[in-house]
Amino acid sequence: MRILFYGALADRLGPQVEVDAPEDWTIAQLREKLIAAHPGVERMLCNQRTRAFVGDTLVFDDYRLSNANTVEFLPPVSGG
Amino acid sequence: MSIVARLEERALQPDHELAALLDQAKDEGAVVNFVGVARPTSKSGDPVDQLVLDHHPRLTVQSLQDIAVSAAERFDVSHVRVVHRCGKVASGEPIVFAGAASAHRRAAFDAADYLMDRLKTDAIFWKREVGEAGSQWIEPTEGDYADRDRWG
Repeated sequence: MRILFYGALADRLGPQVEVDAPEDWTIAQLREKLIAAHPGVERMLCNQRTRAFVGDTLVFDDYRLSNANTVEFLPPVSGG
Repeated sequence: MSIVARLEERALQPDHELAALLDQAKDEGAVVNFVGVARPTSKSGDPVDQLVLDHHPRLTVQSLQDIAVSAAERFDVSHVRVVHRCGKVASGEPIVFAGAASAHRRAAFDAADYLMDRLKTDAIFWKREVGEAGSQWIEPTEGDYADRDRWG
């Protein structure tokens, strides 16, 4: 599975990583796996304002990855 | 009614955007616009040479459109225009233009205020300041979230 990162997360992890994630995993489990592999990003990845998207749709921690080829993690955003 | 929400990769020209809005709003009584400019210093006082705005290939434009449509629906305005820079913006150069036109001034003022509060917290950009001190990511402050939340 392809995981894409943006902003400060991309700075730390690179813009994308490949992860072996079972289909029945949830977004929450994926976060845990990423944190285990990259302990320094726990604060950013668990920030309540860091959102996960699948197919350009916002998904929440209980979303199952069964139909996802790519998950995108967007850290807190700021325009203006 | 017209809604313009655009991502600008090159220099933003506020005078052109205002002229376009004025041209659309010839039958209205009020045009309000705001221009955000890249600051030359960080919050800690360090000099900033440029602001770098990263964006998402699809969701950023969608977020600009959603914010502009929301302003148009919420206030009694006839035209809404949002143009936002991406990429590298030198200090002192414009980052964002937010404008609205209406029959009477209050709706246009409110719409422009609302546009900026939403853009600060909901537009999908990741900003970092770059200067001699290095590169620093900028996130919305609690004050920015409170400004957005006052609209309910």
